[in-house]
Amino acid sequence: MEAKEFKVRWVMAIDIDKCTGCGACMVACQAENNLAPVEDASFKLRVMNWLVVYELSNKQPFPDHDIAYLPRPCMQCGNPPCVSVCPVIATDKNEEGGIVSQVTPRCIGCRYCMAACPYHARYFNWFDPSWPEGMEKVLTPDVSVRPRGVVEKCTFCHHRFMQAKDKAIVEGRDPEALNDGDYVTSCAEACPNGAIVFGDVNNPDHAVYELARSQYACRLLERLHADPQVYYISRREWVRRQLDNYLENEQVKG
Amino acid sequence: MAVDRRGFLKFVTGVSAGIMVTPVPWVLLDDLSIWTQNWPWIPSNVDGPNTFVSTVSKLCPSCVGMKVRLVGDRPVRILPDDNHPLSKGGISALAVAEAQMLHSPARVRRPLKRSGDGAYVAISWEEADALLAEKLGSAKGSLACVSGDETGTINEVLSAFTARAGSQNFYLMPSEIQPAAKALAAMGGEGQFGYDIENSDYVLAIGANILESWGTAIRNRAAFKDAHPHGQEPTVPYVYVGAVQGNTAAGADKWIAIKPGTEGAFALGLAHLLIKSGASSYASDFSAFASLAAGYTPEKVAELTGASADGIKALAAELQKARRPLVITGSEFGQGTPVGTVAAGMAVNLLLGGLNRPGGVKLLPVAAPVVDSALSRAQMMEKDFVAYLSRINAGKEKAPEAMLFYEANPAYGLPQADKMAEVLAQVPFKATFTTFLDETAMLCDLVLPVPMGLERLDDVATPYGSGSALYCLARPVAPMPANVRPAADYILGLAGKLGYSLGFGKWEDVLKAKAQAMGANWKSLMAGDVFVSTETVGASLSFGADLIAKSLTAKTAEGDFALAPVHKLNMGTAKTAIPPYNNKTIRRWELQGSEIYVAMNGATARKLNVSKHDKVVVSNKSGSIVARVNVFEGIMSDTVAVLMGLGHTAFDQFSKGKGENVMQLLTVGFEPGSGQSVWAMAGVNISKA
Ligand code: SF4
Ligand code: SF4
Repeated sequence: MEAKEFKVRWVMAIDIDKCTGCGACMVACQAENNLAPVEDASFKLRVMNWLVVYELSNKQPFPDHDIAYLPRPCMQCGNPPCVSVCPVIATDKNEEGGIVSQVTPRCIGCRYCMAACPYHARYFNWFDPSWPEGMEKVLTPDVSVRPRGVVEKCTFCHHRFMQAKDKAIVEGRDPEALNDGDYVTSCAEACPNGAIVFGDVNNPDHAVYELARSQYACRLLERLHADPQVYYISRREWVRRQLDNYLENEQVKG
Repeated sequence: MAVDRRGFLKFVTGVSAGIMVTPVPWVLLDDLSIWTQNWPWIPSNVDGPNTFVSTVSKLCPSCVGMKVRLVGDRPVRILPDDNHPLSKGGISALAVAEAQMLHSPARVRRPLKRSGDGAYVAISWEEADALLAEKLGSAKGSLACVSGDETGTINEVLSAFTARAGSQNFYLMPSEIQPAAKALAAMGGEGQFGYDIENSDYVLAIGANILESWGTAIRNRAAFKDAHPHGQEPTVPYVYVGAVQGNTAAGADKWIAIKPGTEGAFALGLAHLLIKSGASSYASDFSAFASLAAGYTPEKVAELTGASADGIKALAAELQKARRPLVITGSEFGQGTPVGTVAAGMAVNLLLGGLNRPGGVKLLPVAAPVVDSALSRAQMMEKDFVAYLSRINAGKEKAPEAMLFYEANPAYGLPQADKMAEVLAQVPFKATFTTFLDETAMLCDLVLPVPMGLERLDDVATPYGSGSALYCLARPVAPMPANVRPAADYILGLAGKLGYSLGFGKWEDVLKAKAQAMGANWKSLMAGDVFVSTETVGASLSFGADLIAKSLTAKTAEGDFALAPVHKLNMGTAKTAIPPYNNKTIRRWELQGSEIYVAMNGATARKLNVSKHDKVVVSNKSGSIVARVNVFEGIMSDTVAVLMGLGHTAFDQFSKGKGENVMQLLTVGFEPGSGQSVWAMAGVNISKA
């Protein structure tokens, strides 16, 4: 299947060498998208997280050990494996910008998409979300709270995209040609290291245009041809090697 | 009318087609799916007009600047503030959760009094006032006060109050600022060390976790960001020297592993090589320092620290090549640092010509106190709370009649925490001004709820680590809960009642006076601007050679293994515990259920004959913890890394009963020379459980 062509394609270019694993992006994501806190978050399979910062290791013994952190949102794949399996079209890749939507009220909770996603980017609400008394006052008005029984995932803070477009329209600008920085995700905004850069990869005026074309840029499991809209940059070969499970003697890019 | 088979089939087909065509069943299904997802117990979003207010975090030790997004009068998001010099477009994992913490289940919402049976009962403010006035009145001359706020002018109010009550026992909770201040004093300087990281062309952190928790961490990280253009070679190298390949090492371009607590020796090794290749100084004690450093040859330092001699030489050569190098020393977990360690790091800066030059260490001016009989910042830095408690414990000093805590949680946050709590138990009357029901509140007779930083007017004056003297206000952005009272105003009122004159009746007036003393404009501060001064204090520092020499004679820790506590801001602080939204950032092999994991490298694990997930007991004479093993190769050999921020026995379901508190294992010692209490070098024994 050919990937759909979009005039605007929102991507992240994450410099793994700049991420120190602080977790600010994860907390910012939860707060922005109204994910509920949990008492015990140590059973990682059940914990809802649209963005997870994974730890990578070069697997060398001390003192040759090296570490890296990999923030993983939804890749907003160009050929999203999750979309084709959804029986009720609760998830789709249609809108200009290339963000894979997730319409939770339409989701019937069959979880086919979770099985199909190679990046474990999708989460199922096993329980109703609950906030300690009073904390629901901090919910943002932008993203509705999801009930138990539906699947959810990162949307590249889609509501911020809509707000940026609205603002452009009000100001008489072309909403299909937003300026670099008009629309950024909550995680990219929060990161003190600037490890996550966000923008339109088709627009030469956006920083990601060059970054995605960097010799050090590659995507997760690229050889699955899901065509992700998240680029990872690392000057370290061992990191790039792990991003696509390269064989020991295989050549990697960069 | 007879219906034949064909007619029946036509009818069925027609009906089926009709059903397919009519939208009714689909609409009903859709309605059903929406209806089944709209349970009344699931909160729904409430819209309103958006406003944004710039302020500064009083919870996060990095004093990060932030922009609060309000919907109506509700703060909903904490966002980075591009214009704040301590945010520069970034936010910490702790401050970003601050809006949610306004509604934390651990918040104290009304005054509590401990009744005879140990239970806490809610009382009115009038009762609390009367009790406090009575107890403090009778404790005159025997009061102690502890503050957990390092940067606020409230310390002037509290220290003046303590002084008026006839006592000199005002203390700050220990952090990196005290050893730094003592080092500066020993080197003959005034003011406060400032680190001009933005203008440096080579940043070397020895111990200090500059990209996670040390000093103005978010500002440090903004400098790191600029020095690391996306996807390109770094323009300024960052090097981290420390026992654990933690978050700072992960960002740094180079990591050199050393044993915990050997930061001072490592710095002297660099000084030795710099002097050998010609670095010199006019300082009065240069020759004394040079002869001290002469003993720290690369080989000797390699033996002491566990780093390689070649690595040390290469590092010294790189420092020498740099034009504006900066060396930052501290403890990996932000406390317990010996004064000599800071001084040794400063000595390297002096040899590199780094004093008061761009990209080096600056001496920042500190404003004089504005409240009558308050301690100056320098005097506050002299006071050592851990030493005070140790003296009481040893019977060398009488326990005070009453103790006041302000946003301080010594019962959890001090080394040998349980022991410290025992000492606190000797104090007959204790009251705490606190936002959360923390471990210390659980020891107090009276718990007085104060507003959070987002709900009160407060200030931040030049946090330690900042590159310039600065002043800004935390402004109330959220409505204050009905039954909490701002501590500063309350103390001023109490002082009035007890007949102690502090010269101010209102907190706002204290802040106005402070702003003036700093040279800042009140109106512009109230508009959210930050006052930044470019001033430095001129000085010719000595090396503090004598102090460094004595400090380095400290005994090495007992036990077969070294302990490396790991401090990360996502875990909160002793004052905040783990914010509800931050649980998910705890890594899989840091905590499982209620079990803490401790980390060691493969060689150490083999030596102990343990493998991943095995249960071990980590102990020393101060205490012991039971933990599971995580094998992680980014740790010095014979060292065990333990995450700080776990093992709370108070607060709420998001923190309580999770893992163990590493502070139990940190043994207090006293630094030869300075006499400062130190606990950056703890030894432990590890055995299979
Ligand atoms: S906020 Fe930035 S540095 Fe921290 S974990 Fe996320 S991407 Fe990494
Ligand atoms: S990362 Fe997973 S959820 Fe996201 S678009 Fe790709 S397949 Fe779908």
